[in-house]
Amino acid sequence: MIRLEKRIEVNNAWIALMYLSACIIGFLLTALLLWLSGTDISKAFYALYKGSMSSQKTIFSSLSKATPLILTGLATVVAFRAKVWSIGQEGQVYSGAMSAYMASLMFFGLPVWIYLTLIIGFGALGGAFLGALSAVLKNRFNVNEIISTVMLNYIMIFFLSYMVGGGPWTGVGDVALTYSQSNPIDDTAKLPFLFDSRKLHLGFVLAIVCALACHILINLTPFGYEIRAMGHNSIALKYRGTNTKKTLLYLMVFSGAIAGLAGVSEIFGTNHSLKGDTLVGLGFTGIIVGMIGGLTPIGTVIAGVVFGGLASGSVYMKIIAKVPGTLVPTMEGLFLLTFLIAGVASHYKIVRLKKDV
Amino acid sequence: MSQFTLLKTKQLTKYFPGVVANENVDFVLNEGEVHCLFGENGAGKSTLCSCIFGYYKPDSGSIELKGKSVKFRSPGDAIKNGIGMVHQHFVLVDDFTVLENIIVGTNTEQWKLDLEKSENELRAICLEYEIDLKFNSLVRDLSVGEQQWVEILKSLYLDAEILILDEPTAVLTPEESKKLFKIIHKMSNNGISIILISHKISEVMQADRVSVMSKGKLINTVFPKNTSPQELTNMMVGREVKLRVKESKYSKVSSSSKPLLSVKNLKYMNKYKKFALDNVNFELHSGEILGLAGVSGNGQKELFDALSGNLVPDSGAIIYDGTEIQGKSSRHYMDLGIGLIPDDRYREGLIGDFSISENVILGWQRHQKYSKNFFLNHKNINKFTEYLIKEFNIIAPNASVPVNYLSGGNAQKVILAREFSHSNKILLANQPTRGLDLGVIEYVYEQIKLKREEGFAILLASEELEDLLNMCDRIAVISDGEIKGTVDAQSTSIQEIGMLMAGHAEVSA
Repeated sequence: MIRLEKRIEVNNAWIALMYLSACIIGFLLTALLLWLSGTDISKAFYALYKGSMSSQKTIFSSLSKATPLILTGLATVVAFRAKVWSIGQEGQVYSGAMSAYMASLMFFGLPVWIYLTLIIGFGALGGAFLGALSAVLKNRFNVNEIISTVMLNYIMIFFLSYMVGGGPWTGVGDVALTYSQSNPIDDTAKLPFLFDSRKLHLGFVLAIVCALACHILINLTPFGYEIRAMGHNSIALKYRGTNTKKTLLYLMVFSGAIAGLAGVSEIFGTNHSLKGDTLVGLGFTGIIVGMIGGLTPIGTVIAGVVFGGLASGSVYMKIIAKVPGTLVPTMEGLFLLTFLIAGVASHYKIVRLKKDV
Repeated sequence: MSQFTLLKTKQLTKYFPGVVANENVDFVLNEGEVHCLFGENGAGKSTLCSCIFGYYKPDSGSIELKGKSVKFRSPGDAIKNGIGMVHQHFVLVDDFTVLENIIVGTNTEQWKLDLEKSENELRAICLEYEIDLKFNSLVRDLSVGEQQWVEILKSLYLDAEILILDEPTAVLTPEESKKLFKIIHKMSNNGISIILISHKISEVMQADRVSVMSKGKLINTVFPKNTSPQELTNMMVGREVKLRVKESKYSKVSSSSKPLLSVKNLKYMNKYKKFALDNVNFELHSGEILGLAGVSGNGQKELFDALSGNLVPDSGAIIYDGTEIQGKSSRHYMDLGIGLIPDDRYREGLIGDFSISENVILGWQRHQKYSKNFFLNHKNINKFTEYLIKEFNIIAPNASVPVNYLSGGNAQKVILAREFSHSNKILLANQPTRGLDLGVIEYVYEQIKLKREEGFAILLASEELEDLLNMCDRIAVISDGEIKGTVDAQSTSIQEIGMLMAGHAEVSA
């Protein structure tokens, strides 16, 4: 007979084994899905490889797609580590994109680096504002953060679609109106590309910097201590003199600001005009990325890059292997499940019992 | 004496991660006896009973009921086989009536409820045991003692032949305990076998037989009449323990000295519109220990919360050194030098998943000693933790183990270490020894006494009256949110305090 027993000590080899198995099982389940949908499995996986990491160009494309996911993943990490179940990353992405766009209109003509700094700063502020709003609602009126963030998501999504779909920011010409998008942003407002790649841009650097900042913040500062303490036992934290309402407000501001940057990165680095379609799902996928990353900043970067690769490869899968596009989110979901199970399993060990006498 | 063996465990063994909770326990319960399981916390008493009650599955060994080997998959199986259990924490629905609570989930035979029939049956049981309960009252309106009767009735109603009582008197007043024991003896006369978990020696002596447990093993089963309290206690801890040594009092308080903390007409109404604190008045001087006696749930919690800045009273004043501080934040109270040992240590005092070094700075993480330029100063924190581990004799493999993995006593020492090293004026200790074993209890009390010598003003709440009598200079008795009286620990008696606790008016000033 065998039995699961909770581990007291941490065994890194075991943890690695669990996550490796999660990967393998995730791929097996994906293969099963591909097989069920009637595609050629080897062709599909080859296309995935081809589209995500076969050349410098595709690697840059993967990293570029990973950028907003890393950011929204980090926003998730900051909130979830405190057991604040914010799912407002989606709305914060929109709000960040919109306030950055507003800044790009307001400060047009300023020297490039000041201009870019203001755009990025306003993007962060936009996300932070939305995060702060949920925190204030919770602190003042005890509104559940899940509900307030979901509702704010809707408000931001529809607000953006009004602004560019007939509202004041709608672009000139039939094309812009049909596709609900703004005028293209000025060249000076674009986040500069890295290595002349025409794919990978400054947003990726921002994401990595944010990841390091989150890592340091969570593990090495008193504020991070408070975030983690709040997640484990907010009552004890409050009892011993920490104003947990303040902690909640600050962490939601911080989390919102990072999610806002994802919006800036996507609009000013990749899409180059304000448009709702390109932002859809970045926040929600970020939740999955953060969870798969084990709610650690470094893990989130890895998970984000993997998801970026999936997104980039899926284009090739669609073209080469005729894999239906909806299979990609399904795969993401499968990986989330196997990784969550691995996360729990890494805290247990298997014990063999002798037969009862 | 050839009594019929009702239940027997054979070489019963139960492991938990990292510990052996029960090791080869051979326990024998005879028909109609009151059998006491006596031992320190963590000795394995509750685990053994949980195995018998089907709550845990033993890892090896077997349980025999009436000569037949049984394997319970759940408490439901145990109940069907005539075993009932009253847990330390009651399993009752507050918003249900007494009757509803008893029959909920017990009518397993039929689909329809027959309230009238059940009520008649219950009435008969109540009559027999002289239990006075109104079946229509809501459980939330009952006293703790009455709630316990509901639990016992539940088992009796199910025709339990074996009744397990897990520390039944922990929450009762002395009067209620006496009554409980009358009922226990009556049940045993009626042929019901009772397993009584206890670590109170006075209760143990009232049992027919006693099994002493220590470190997961059953040490011995003896007849109380053939032994003495001293012998039993030695058996339990495996060493000599001083019992009830009345200490000589140390006190330099004169009644004329100015109090460090005074509480005036403190009132607080809880969410059930009941006065949890009802005009509480007292004074606390430097260099004294003021005891707070009372059954749990009579306002102690609210009082400690108010005195540590975790509850805003509705009216009244808390005056510290001449300044009113009621309604200020817990931060403010901590900065004044007021330390708190909360009664629910894992809820309010510790962060279980945090390491020892993270827990000893809880609340002080932004203090300049532990953080510098936005960063935690791990070097200082680790040095401080190593010092505390040595100073307070905290037994742990290293400073980075989560406190969840420490024993209750060592976890409590982490709190003591933190509060003692960050406060310098007042110490609020609510049930600081609850659930600890004798060795640690002695240690905690020694430390508190040292703090008194350093000039701390100390408020100490406990349900163990003898401890209060030994430790305190004065004892205030709280009942129903009111201080029923304050007595001099030198001249009072347990009886006097017991009367006050039960809500009787002050006997003498």
